[in-house]
Amino acid sequence: MDDMHELSVESLSALCSNLAKACSKQLRTEEASLFDQLASYYKSKSKLPEGKQFTDYSALVLKELNKDYAEISQQAAADGDRGSLRALTWGEKVSKILKSLLDRYEKQKDSLLENTNVFVCEICGFIYIGNLPPEICPICKVPGFKMMKIQKESV
Amino acid sequence: MHAARNIRLCTKDCVCLFVCPTGATDTETGQIDFEKCLDGCRLCVDACPSHAIYLVNDNYASPQIKGQKTKAMLLKMAENKAEQEKIAAGIAREAKSPEVRQLAKALEVSSRISTEDCLREAGYMLPQGAEVKQLLRALLNSPHEDLPKETIQRLLDLL
Repeated sequence: MDDMHELSVESLSALCSNLAKACSKQLRTEEASLFDQLASYYKSKSKLPEGKQFTDYSALVLKELNKDYAEISQQAAADGDRGSLRALTWGEKVSKILKSLLDRYEKQKDSLLENTNVFVCEICGFIYIGNLPPEICPICKVPGFKMMKIQKESV
Repeated sequence: MHAARNIRLCTKDCVCLFVCPTGATDTETGQIDFEKCLDGCRLCVDACPSHAIYLVNDNYASPQIKGQKTKAMLLKMAENKAEQEKIAAGIAREAKSPEVRQLAKALEVSSRISTEDCLREAGYMLPQGAEVKQLLRALLNSPHEDLPKETIQRLLDLL
């Protein structure tokens, strides 16, 4: 298995946190907790970069929007891989929204987030700025209670 | 295959208490006692008017076998998204205003969810799947000094 050598500690952490969720769905609590421990372990091995800006984040999103989503979708369609196409469809929509959100942030700066709340859809990653979460996620259609509120913390 | 209760849907009609042959549904935890539950019995599942009880499979259908090219591309995309999460976490740590930290945290959470989705579709959907076991075995032999080997071994035993 070569995957392991290619996967970064950050990817391994996400792989394990996702498997923890999968185990919880099957009510396998011990396995879920073990995968969570592994996810934390790999996350602790990640070295956070210094001096990064939101524009660095945007640049990576833009690369996906310009090229990656189209290329992978073409390949997945050729494979008849509905699951991957679904993930890519949601992913592309989320990326477009993140890009436009970050473009708005560059213009309005912190005032974009003053006197309002920020929510993230736990299922697809959609980010919403507003007082109350939407009734359903506009991208993956889960009910609003699956929107996680991101707290504003003092620095 | 045992029954489980989704407490979000339960309206306390409690027909399950009456129909269960073993008393597995009669607990103080909100959940069914999986040890007492009879394999595949499903009397409570069919009796519940709120559809709050369901069966948890022991064996799940195998996920689609992924094309090698699609898999490789999805793994690469997962890396790009993991990099986004890292950048967002870095911004959150150095943030000079609560708003910057809040936005960076939201991006960090969102990137993690998208990374997970790519990896799931790259073949790591089912914890019991062959791909996951293969990966765990490979991880067990990786050279990190402080690797929690007993955690990985226990997972291999349980899955």
